[in-house]
Amino acid sequence: MEFFGKIGSSVEGGLAYVGALTSLAGRAAYFTFIGPFQGKPLRFQRAVSQAMEAGVRALPILSLITFFIGLILALQAAYELRRFGAISFVASAVALSMTRELGPLITAVIVIGRSGSAFAAELGTMRVSEEIDALETMAINPVSFLVAPKFIAMILMLPCLTIWANFMGILGGSLFGVAQADFTFPRYIIASLDALFMRDVVTGLIKSFMFGVTITAVGCLEGLNTTGGAEQVGRSTTRAVVMSIFLVILVDLVFTMLFYFLGEH
Amino acid sequence: MQIAARPATGGTILDITGDIDLAHSPAMRKALLQEIREKKTPKVFLNLEKVRYIDSSGIASLVEGLKASRDQGSRLILYGLSKTVREVMELSRLQKIFEIHDSEAQALAS
Amino acid sequence: MAPSVENLGVDESFDGPMISLRDLRVSYTGREILHGINFDVQRGETLVILGGSGSGKSTLLRTLVGLEKPTSGQVWIRGKNFSAISEVERDEIRKRLGMSFQGGALFGSMTVGENVALPLQEHTKLEPTTVEIMVRLKLDQVGLSGFEDFLPSQLSGGMKKRAAVARALAMDPEILFFDEPSAGLDPIIAAGIDQLILELKKAFHMTIIVVTHELASAFLIADRMVLINKGDVVALGTTEEMKTSKHPRVRQFLDRIPEPAVAQELDYLQMLTEPSSKSGEGRQGKSR
Ligand SMILES: Nc1ncnc2c1ncn2[C@@H]1O[C@H](COP(=O)(O)OP(=O)(O)OP(=O)(O)O)[C@@H](O)[C@H]1O
Ligand SMILES: [Mg+2]
Repeated sequence: MEFFGKIGSSVEGGLAYVGALTSLAGRAAYFTFIGPFQGKPLRFQRAVSQAMEAGVRALPILSLITFFIGLILALQAAYELRRFGAISFVASAVALSMTRELGPLITAVIVIGRSGSAFAAELGTMRVSEEIDALETMAINPVSFLVAPKFIAMILMLPCLTIWANFMGILGGSLFGVAQADFTFPRYIIASLDALFMRDVVTGLIKSFMFGVTITAVGCLEGLNTTGGAEQVGRSTTRAVVMSIFLVILVDLVFTMLFYFLGEH
Repeated sequence: MQIAARPATGGTILDITGDIDLAHSPAMRKALLQEIREKKTPKVFLNLEKVRYIDSSGIASLVEGLKASRDQGSRLILYGLSKTVREVMELSRLQKIFEIHDSEAQALAS
Repeated sequence: MAPSVENLGVDESFDGPMISLRDLRVSYTGREILHGINFDVQRGETLVILGGSGSGKSTLLRTLVGLEKPTSGQVWIRGKNFSAISEVERDEIRKRLGMSFQGGALFGSMTVGENVALPLQEHTKLEPTTVEIMVRLKLDQVGLSGFEDFLPSQLSGGMKKRAAVARALAMDPEILFFDEPSAGLDPIIAAGIDQLILELKKAFHMTIIVVTHELASAFLIADRMVLINKGDVVALGTTEEMKTSKHPRVRQFLDRIPEPAVAQELDYLQMLTEPSSKSGEGRQGKSR
């Protein structure tokens, strides 16, 4: 009995958490899309600097990791494919798994590590040092000033990063293709592009957009909800990372299922 | 706040009426800089007799005007400061930097 | 930027008390910190809040600017019940308030100059050149000329405090709240802050609420004083009334008499060895 009670209360807690995330994202959306028409400034400059930090600075590490992932995928796929003498399918195998799944996911994980955690740490520090309170007493809305620019930056940058990650993954796969599977580089790329439908790319991008919303909402909510002192900021940051990874996987599952059943028809 | 310009010996008098506060100092700044930079008036007199209140943004705008007039080699002369306006000037320690007179006659004679 | 900039200037049309507290009670996580505070502050008045450490002074200031919600009672600012108005109305009032926090609360990612400029950039249509001059004027008033481009982390504790005061002054507010503005400042600079408070009052007719432990400074700047002890107002009056007050707590505070060692040996032993109750309640209110 108690067990079910516990499950009940944690489901309730989970729903409340998702509710808080949605409300934060909703308020940020208000300041982004409706606020500017009511004379509330859209903080474009702040969004640009966030986009630089979350997007452009992530490129080197993202490129390296997704290149390796592409290479690993090619090796793993070829291991099975060559038993059927179908090694030339390695290009399409890599291209499909990158764009549909691993490109968005790996990008999300890297962005969680770089930016999601940074959002929680930044807002958490501002919370415990009364900076958020100071903003409020100046009649500056913290969601508008701090959170909305992060949302704008992330929902723009995550799809861009994902496209780049897909490309680097295919490039990584081509290293194997050229070295081991009798492809020339142009033929490998053409084979990859031939395997892809627009749908594959678009579903990946829709997912990455949702990941961007999720990561920002979790990072900012954990930061804003920090109470107590400096040690709590560390705790918020950890929670933000763990929660983001969990929710990103959950969102991934939901959307993959959705696309699967939509694709049936 | 309202600003009206009228000619005077050797320059222009700007009569200011009302409060020079956050909402209105941009207008005063614009009028002042136009008179100094564009019309290159050699002497700009600022009549503050009808100014009840000035805040830091007003003071900052006056400082901009003073700097512009120094750059042009022209003069910015204030007169008719109320007690409040004088006190705000003193708070910013600017009363010695501006050329300030009590009345219009004194200002014009200077 | 903001559409409301038109009604930002002084508004002297309101002539009731600038601040009015009605049986104000505030709790943190179930523990009541302020037990029914009542007082009014008139326009142009400087009120000094005195009280022992932990007596609830910062909590009172935070409640006055709407950062803490009262559990009961009301805060009226400029004739509006602060906890019963819309967010838009509250922001309109907050644009006329300036607050310097006990810990400074400067924005760590911005320079001192950007900190002071922020409210001006957010709420006014002033030109950047005007804002820059205003920032320099404010920093000069607190003795921080030339530190615009420093980050808060590059300042000493006392300099942070003064930068926070400069930021609170940015919009020439009608009501200023200072939480221990001169704690940790050397005597010369602390005297400078006192001077500034007097000049602000004279020039702008500002209503100023100052929390301080510096008695000399309190008597210099205050029109009236309120002494808070463990969340209750124990005395409220003009500086003269306070000086001549016979109230034991007031005398103790003003004459700087330490707490007598009241604990009986047995109580004391018990207090030291009693198993902890975890609630955090108790120790403070007991036997002191
Ligand atoms: N965020 C908080 N959560 C829980 N309790 C708090 C919190 N902030 C303050 N308190 C409690 O409220 C009481 C009053 O604190 P407050 O900071 O208002 O005191 P103060 O009078 O400003 O003291 P000081 O002179 O030392 O600054 C203290 O007992 C403190 O333990
Ligand atoms: Mg305090």
